[in-house]
Amino acid sequence: MSRIGVFVCHCGENIARTVDVEKVAAAAARLPGVVFATDYKYMCSDPGQNRLKKAVAEHRLDGVVVAACSPRMHEKTFRSAARAAGLNPFLCEMANIREHCSWVHEDRAEATAKASDIVRMMVARTKKDNRLAPISVQVTKRSLVIGGGIAGIQAALDIADAGHQVVLVEREPSLGGHMAMLSETFPTLDCSQCIMTPKMVDVANHPNITLHTYAELETVEGYIGNFQVTVRKKAKSVVEAKCTGCGVCSTKCPQKKIPNSFDRDLGMRPAIYAPFPQAVPNTPVIDREHCTKFISGKCGVCQKVCGPGAIDYDQQDELIVEPVGAIVVATGFELYDIGRKPEGSAIKGYGEYGYGTIPDVIDGLTFERLASASGPTGGKIERPSDGKEPKEVVFIQCVGSRAPQKGISYCSKVCCMYTAKHTVLYKHKVHDGQAYVFFMDARTPGKNYDEFWRRAVEEEEALYLRGMVSRLYQRGDKVVVVGSDVLSGSQVEIEADLVVLATAVQARGGADTLAQKLGISYDKYNFYSEAHAKLKPVECATAGIFLAGACQGPKDIPETVSQASAAAAKVMTLFAKDQMEREPVIARVDERRCAACFACRKVCPYGAVAEKAIRDRQGKLLRTVASVNDGVCGGCGTCQATCPSKSIELDGYTDEQIDAMIEAL
Amino acid sequence: MSGVREPLNYGYYPGCSLHASAKEYDLSTRALFGALGIGLTQVPDWICCGATPAHNVDELLSLSLCAKNLILAETVPGDLAVPCASCFSRLKTTQHELTGDAAKHKLVAKGIESRVPLAKKIKHPLEILGRDLGLEPLAAAVKKPLAGLKVACYYGCLLTRPPGVSQLDDAEAPTIMEEVIGAAGAEAVIWSHRLECCGASFTLSRPGVVVKLTADILAAAKDAGADCLMVGCPLCQGNLDLRQREVEELAGGRYGLPVLYLTQLLGLALGLSADRLGLSGLMVDPLPLLKRKGLL
Repeated sequence: MSRIGVFVCHCGENIARTVDVEKVAAAAARLPGVVFATDYKYMCSDPGQNRLKKAVAEHRLDGVVVAACSPRMHEKTFRSAARAAGLNPFLCEMANIREHCSWVHEDRAEATAKASDIVRMMVARTKKDNRLAPISVQVTKRSLVIGGGIAGIQAALDIADAGHQVVLVEREPSLGGHMAMLSETFPTLDCSQCIMTPKMVDVANHPNITLHTYAELETVEGYIGNFQVTVRKKAKSVVEAKCTGCGVCSTKCPQKKIPNSFDRDLGMRPAIYAPFPQAVPNTPVIDREHCTKFISGKCGVCQKVCGPGAIDYDQQDELIVEPVGAIVVATGFELYDIGRKPEGSAIKGYGEYGYGTIPDVIDGLTFERLASASGPTGGKIERPSDGKEPKEVVFIQCVGSRAPQKGISYCSKVCCMYTAKHTVLYKHKVHDGQAYVFFMDARTPGKNYDEFWRRAVEEEEALYLRGMVSRLYQRGDKVVVVGSDVLSGSQVEIEADLVVLATAVQARGGADTLAQKLGISYDKYNFYSEAHAKLKPVECATAGIFLAGACQGPKDIPETVSQASAAAAKVMTLFAKDQMEREPVIARVDERRCAACFACRKVCPYGAVAEKAIRDRQGKLLRTVASVNDGVCGGCGTCQATCPSKSIELDGYTDEQIDAMIEAL
Repeated sequence: MSGVREPLNYGYYPGCSLHASAKEYDLSTRALFGALGIGLTQVPDWICCGATPAHNVDELLSLSLCAKNLILAETVPGDLAVPCASCFSRLKTTQHELTGDAAKHKLVAKGIESRVPLAKKIKHPLEILGRDLGLEPLAAAVKKPLAGLKVACYYGCLLTRPPGVSQLDDAEAPTIMEEVIGAAGAEAVIWSHRLECCGASFTLSRPGVVVKLTADILAAAKDAGADCLMVGCPLCQGNLDLRQREVEELAGGRYGLPVLYLTQLLGLALGLSADRLGLSGLMVDPLPLLKRKGLL
């Protein structure tokens, strides 16, 4: 006969508000095999855990059911407490009466009855729990960092400085990301390139960092401590080892009319190019889509002029397999585009702003390039249509952000500050110019942030108008801005020379595809989800994968750098041990019954099933059976559901246990 | 085009304006559709849709008026052609509200003692000409192309809005008017005030507001080099046409911009006479312009 203890948690009021916890405990006490049942306000607190430990000893419990929150939340907590009390931790189970019951129901009587049902099922299951021992696996002390913007760079440098190997993968030909595109940074107005490029060089020179630029993640296999990642290094058509970065190829390339995306299409670049002069690495790539040699076979100028003979038109994409123990995802963001969207798209675009067809209506990142000393105008503010210096500039905040009718309800967090910065930069460059800002709210929490905004308003005389802009249209060479000023209760019409839209920060296109490759979760806006909004802000729910920067949600530079260092610290924690323990919830094969059909191998998403030969003492092959690799098995149970002879089972989720749960219901 | 085309037939809801201040819209719609072989069957015993005032006073009343019309419209075959932008908007809004809100539908049904059929497709003539008939057949039917005529297409507020209800075209950047008049050989000018509000029924209660709004619209059309405006709404037409003299007196300039219904301009392109299109019903006389351009 079992000796099970049941502990019903109030979770403050989270459970007790809807579920009569005393009644649930009393009902549990009457179940056969339950020798002790109680309820407590916070089971996860220290006194709560002590109650559990004390009861295990006093009542000689051989199984524990904690009726509380999701096992994702506190299973680890209570299993540790059980272990401390001398019980095998896998004899401690959670009955989820919060997420599965109190949070989703209103009727108290019905919720209480359901909670009792859940507890009864878990008691039945716990009676059939086996003592399991944790499995130790080797940790590969190398980390993959995806993305070479400031987040990826910071994470890579921190991990590498701690003495671990890092593989850094960047999609573009150079490191730098969005930060390399910025002019000056708020609130101190230090030059972005000046603080960014040294870090880029540090990455390139670091002995512990392997850098793959112009590369993307192809596949990911394995699990925490033991990932196998395949990286596709796209053909640069330039042999990196030979290239000296002299730049003659770019200068001589006859095709020079390709919009330069690094300059937000304000300038042009050749077909063989490095995105910007400070690019790291300095190796150019051939944009095969626009290169005359690749389009028509004629040309070949770059090959002729290249002294070291680094041009290789026949270069192929290269697939590189890297074993790593941890992954930091730092893929960044992109900006909302106000252009027309396909019908049915959740993002709507701005027809009232001309869907992006008015040339002197630009976005914030484009303004950064105009203001940047290394930008297409050398830092002179010139508007795109005719190159004139704009004297009246209207900045519009919250374009796309906080606008559910346009598809996005969140705040993009950085726009209030960068718009204030834009007005300051503009005033510094165009002394007789006037900046106007249409805003909903000025959100400036952060160290020295509000002071900076006040400076824009009071010293640099940016005119802030609280209200929205309903329409932009071209009149002559002006852009007419029609908006409201809700503080004076009037309609405003401004004839602007240039309009700058603070468009929303969005997840990168393809963020969902990458998440599916990595097996991590993402929200409805395709931002990656952290394991816990407050207490696990850099971890993914998938073990061994960490998040840094704007791929998780809009962030400014200080916050991005903090999160990147935090992610790096988590990676170092993982790498602090040679071996790591993993949960023993894995599939086991009953070799006596296995009919060697290998249906399990076909369905296993982890590739954990292999063939095993059974031989007699003379080494003669008797038969083959399926065998599960402890390290690789993800414990999903697909094989168990598939096996026709019922000879493969998941530890902790055996058929017998599931049957017992159903019978208890 | 392959095969024989099914003749197009529609129910017809003219609305109050088309029986009074916008008689020429009714006249020209019937004449144009007749010339194109498109059948129109008037909804028997139709009543006022409530237009802009009713829904400001009593939402239930305004929904019920339209609901009643939707019930009556079931007695005529085909989709329902509604030339007045205000009627169009109210009927569409009623369908939208009652489809999405069962409680509201119940309340209306109780008031008018009948459930409301909501499946009838409500169509503005722009949609019928530009989509159902199609631009190519429309262009093929043109006998006197409006070559050399520069038209400012004026949508006003209601034709394309609110988004998700009207569904005539993109709410903030529509093209259907330009496409349709382009098929008739005219040149649609690019201008700024296509979708601005003219003040609509405030013409009676706040004439000052309406004069300012119409002045902006007329000035913008003039600046863009338009010869005339094309509208699909009797309220817009009324304000821009009827108030034009007043605006000119205030602004001290002269616009001289005839404000024609789309059906009148297309009717001209199909060779219909000025009389059949009710051109004499307009305040700013379009005849001198049309003669100058050789279109009459």
